[in-house]
Amino acid sequence: MPILKIDGKDIEVPVGTSIIEAAKKAGIEIPHYCYHPGLSVAGNCRMCLVEVEKFPKLQISCYTPVTEGMVVHTQSERVKDAQQAVLEFLLVNHPLDCPVCDQSGECELQNYYMKYGLYDSRLMEDKVKKHKAVSIGPTVMLDGERCVLCSRCVRFCDEVTHTHEMGIVNRGDRAEIEVAPGKEVDNDYSGNVVDICPVGALTDKDFRFKCRVWFLAQTPSVCPGCSRGCNIEIHWNKERPYQTPGERVMRLKPRFNADVNKFWICDEGRYNYHWIDQGRLLKPMQKRRGVPHEVSWEEAFGTLSGLFLRPQEMGVIVSTDMTNGDLAMAQQLFVSELKVKNVAYQWIRKSGKEDELLMKADKTPNTRGAQALGFEDRSGEIYEQIEKGQIKILFLFGHNLMEILGKDQAEKMRSHLETLVILGPHAHEGINLADWALPSAVYAEKNGTFTNFEGRVQKISKAFPPMGMAKSEREILKEMARQAGIHINLTV
Amino acid sequence: MQAKFQMSSELKTELDKIVSQYETKQAALLPVLNLAQEKYGSISPEIESWVADYLQLPLMKVREVVSFYTLFHAEQKGKHHFQMCRNMSCMLRGCEEMIEYLKERLKLEDGQTSQDRCFSLSTVECLAACEMAPMMQLNDRYVGPLTKESIDQILKEIEINN
Repeated sequence: MPILKIDGKDIEVPVGTSIIEAAKKAGIEIPHYCYHPGLSVAGNCRMCLVEVEKFPKLQISCYTPVTEGMVVHTQSERVKDAQQAVLEFLLVNHPLDCPVCDQSGECELQNYYMKYGLYDSRLMEDKVKKHKAVSIGPTVMLDGERCVLCSRCVRFCDEVTHTHEMGIVNRGDRAEIEVAPGKEVDNDYSGNVVDICPVGALTDKDFRFKCRVWFLAQTPSVCPGCSRGCNIEIHWNKERPYQTPGERVMRLKPRFNADVNKFWICDEGRYNYHWIDQGRLLKPMQKRRGVPHEVSWEEAFGTLSGLFLRPQEMGVIVSTDMTNGDLAMAQQLFVSELKVKNVAYQWIRKSGKEDELLMKADKTPNTRGAQALGFEDRSGEIYEQIEKGQIKILFLFGHNLMEILGKDQAEKMRSHLETLVILGPHAHEGINLADWALPSAVYAEKNGTFTNFEGRVQKISKAFPPMGMAKSEREILKEMARQAGIHINLTV
Repeated sequence: MQAKFQMSSELKTELDKIVSQYETKQAALLPVLNLAQEKYGSISPEIESWVADYLQLPLMKVREVVSFYTLFHAEQKGKHHFQMCRNMSCMLRGCEEMIEYLKERLKLEDGQTSQDRCFSLSTVECLAACEMAPMMQLNDRYVGPLTKESIDQILKEIEINN
């Protein structure tokens, strides 16, 4: 492997590595716009110029492979001059609309100007006018004037989705991003072009003007939208919650994982978060003479733990939306301790859209995890036993019986039961069937792990506390068990 | 929906011949567009998508090329198409004055075609004839260095031949 020197540091990298990647490995930042490690090299922005000894001219570090004994300078006067000049060029026709630009705060033009620019404007001419605020797809807005023509979005549509919707038309200072007439950037991964846009040219319709990015907090997590388990970051409004009342999650962004999702996530996963803050069940509810009443957790735990004396009449249906920790707690309590025979998972949303890039047909995040803990997809048998009157108590996790069985069938099923306990985050219509409705936390509100379809166990982190009085399934079960005199200590 | 554009069969044969000379279909894009424009007078969106299908290229790749070169145009041009170079060498040698003069003589603005479809005026990027700057392309002919007199002369010739 060649050894080279960058800014005086010796670095050993494999043959064929570009200077920019070698520098990244050594912790040296080289500014760039068009280069993206997930796309082909375009070499058009000229921002990543570096000085290589024995080369007469500055070289673009994204396209120059390292060689043995190469000596690179990223901080020399020549390089600094070049960076400043390139920035000046890129900003010649850039509108100074940062105060109303949604990219503000995460814009590489802003960042690099403060780091590598800091020149006084010499512009006497009028700026070239281009198309502004053009909708180019169901998720993406284009501002032609803000674009630096790095072509990342074009390459993304060419190389990752192979849908070829975008291109750069015209020439010179009139060049702009365009989609074919009558066409839209309407593919399953369109939101990614916004992520990779280094400036404010492409913005996300779902996120635009909702929240300034510097008010956001980022929490690493895993997308619960399918069994792929793409690594994501939950961006939530930490600093100005009163500006988005009732909405905490502002957007989801992909988080790099070379083995799972690389740099990308699908739109289905990206926009699958509004339910986190909507329609939530906020307090434990008990039905008394047909009418739901709010109760305290203590009351709920006290009464419900009494049901544990009748495990032979009990059925438990867990969900593959639950984390491994929650599932393990259910497994410990119901299977190991109470010896309940009828414990299963119900596999819902298992046949959605699947493709060769990321999307999997199983739209739940933890089917493999449930299977690994010994749960089986036997919910049908449990429903049969309820109808036969063998199961009188049902613990249901997250599911909506109305949706699964249909209204009539669900009500019929309900009438066979003595007690129906539903633990779930949402106050859907199926909740009305329950004798006890216990609010549980969603994935963004707890720590835990999901096991993806390949068996990869991935960590999710708690972004914010559960809404209302909700608790994680794990806490609810643990407390209920404690009241019944069963102590479970899980280290999962 | 418009009826799908049909390329004339003679032209198609000619295009097939061109394509067969290249290793990849994509490489034939410029000559194919050239021939199509020669035959139809412009590259309409219908021709654009026909070419894209024909060369198995994404439509946007064809559009990028068509919009990049000033020698391709989407609308029909007049019988006499004046393409005035506006690039570096020509500008240094006074093309701006020549462009203004021609605009005045033809009573046309950049990109316009006269109502009788006799004249079109465009300003274009470098035509690679800097030695005759300031210059223009009049249909297939390069003319330069231009002076007000030579422009007068050309317009007179056109008038006589009409």
